[in-house]
Amino acid sequence: MRHLLGRVSARAGVWTTLAVLLVWSLAPIAVMVFTSFKKREDIFAVPVRLLPSSWTFENYSAVFTSSSMPRALLNSVIIGGLVAVATLLFCFSAGYALARFRFRSARPTALFILLGQVVPLTVVLLPVYQIVSSLKLLDTTTGVAFAHLAITVPLVTWMVRNQIAAIPYDLEEAVQIDGGSRFDAVSYVTLPVCAPGLAAAGMFAFLQSWHEFLFASVMATSTASRTAPVALTQFAGEFDVDWGATMAASVVLTLPIVILFMIMQRYFAAGLTGGAVKG
Amino acid sequence: MTNTTTTAAVRRRQRNHPVLLLLPAAIVTAVLMAIPIVTTIVRVIADGGTGITRLFRLPDVGQVFLNTLYWTIGSVVGAIVIGYAGALVLQSKKLRLAGVWRSLLMIPWIIPGVVGATVWRWTLSTDYGILNQTLLDLGLIAEPVRWLSDPGIVLWAVALIQIWVTAPFVMLMVSAALTTIPAERYEAARLDGAGNLAVLRHIILPAIRPTTGICVLTLAIWALNSFTIIWVATSGGPAGASTILPILLYQAFQNGDQALVSAVALVQVFIGAVFAVFFVRTMRTDLEEQT
Repeated sequence: MRHLLGRVSARAGVWTTLAVLLVWSLAPIAVMVFTSFKKREDIFAVPVRLLPSSWTFENYSAVFTSSSMPRALLNSVIIGGLVAVATLLFCFSAGYALARFRFRSARPTALFILLGQVVPLTVVLLPVYQIVSSLKLLDTTTGVAFAHLAITVPLVTWMVRNQIAAIPYDLEEAVQIDGGSRFDAVSYVTLPVCAPGLAAAGMFAFLQSWHEFLFASVMATSTASRTAPVALTQFAGEFDVDWGATMAASVVLTLPIVILFMIMQRYFAAGLTGGAVKG
Repeated sequence: MTNTTTTAAVRRRQRNHPVLLLLPAAIVTAVLMAIPIVTTIVRVIADGGTGITRLFRLPDVGQVFLNTLYWTIGSVVGAIVIGYAGALVLQSKKLRLAGVWRSLLMIPWIIPGVVGATVWRWTLSTDYGILNQTLLDLGLIAEPVRWLSDPGIVLWAVALIQIWVTAPFVMLMVSAALTTIPAERYEAARLDGAGNLAVLRHIILPAIRPTTGICVLTLAIWALNSFTIIWVATSGGPAGASTILPILLYQAFQNGDQALVSAVALVQVFIGAVFAVFFVRTMRTDLEEQT
């Protein structure tokens, strides 16, 4: 009897903890979603209620018709795409070299790239700003994308290196012994085998860029290159914040990411823990 | 025989490629990381230390360092506790649909930091925030708490946001580590009459100690370098009560005070270097297997 009671209480304990964690994790999300459907007077109604008293889409139409958000979303997609492509090109070649070749400077180079992961972004903010400025790339999508490589290259090089190291070298050797070049070996064996991993790495690079705020906030000064996270903060004036539009824009920024995550969860989980150490 | 000679020939042919392959990534890392750090150090030395002197003569510099310390400790401890709780609950055999719950608990980690901070800023609003309203309704507080405008509370309130964002990372890491503990070990402990707490203390915690180390290190580096969450939630205010080093640097950047930016950056480099040593040590196994 005591045993049974203990088991019931253990089960209750597990479910209670889970419930608390779910409320903690999802309550702000619920606030975001429901506030985005509230009318203005509803948002500032006291006592505060989670659900809207009447539902409206006016915040969303405000975001898409009378704000810089659509342009900012486009900029974010362009910058994220540039970052993902450049990162994959650079990091596949570097990751391949680090995984497959034994040479004297391999260790220092690996260490060098590895340490890039722990450099605080604020530390390099001013010099990177000046470099981008001297390249005449301030306030351009290319400039922001270039700065974002500081985040993605050290991380993704490491992810790709580990993926390639996990593929037996014998497979490549077999192609070369059969008369193929090393390039053939890489393109017919290594690339297809680690394609899912590379897709996840590219997605990871895109996401890092999509989330990035610090560099974008100083380098993208006009709508020409302003990214979505920076545009989100523009709804807030000095004293007045348009909370309805802000929450609607937040939902727009979050939704594609969450959907993508649910679809690609299996690959993400590995990528997110595979040496991910950037804030 | 022919096989081995061909392999050797193939191996020899490849020797000159690696540098070329490494070049793009190495150049990017050099231009965006190494050169900036060197520039920062050179700049601080070149101006005769006036930037550093000015930094340490700022009226509230002591508070900034203390804030950075408290903020880091608070967000690391909080994320570890909540992340562990999440991982242990999800691993429990009494739970169904663990995959679904896991995905839901991951959401704070995958949404953009700017969005997280913005949403929390509204949730923590003194007059219109759902948190104050709920606490009032439950009778836990008599008056609305000024989460983001009371200098005595604000640092912990923003740490709460950082914990909310980073705890799922700990959960993910610990979950992965928990799956490596063989089931026999639990059974053996149960046969020996161990209760839940004894299993946690003598089986689970020792087995995931390396993961705990990596998590603490990663969380500390994140917290020390964190900018977005505090900046979006409070901009370091009120009256500098939530200003940490990266915020101080950004404010100097906005004021065009390059000497001060470089001085703060140098301090961050020093702190970062300490953590980098630990970081490289924990990653060394990765390095070893490749050289």
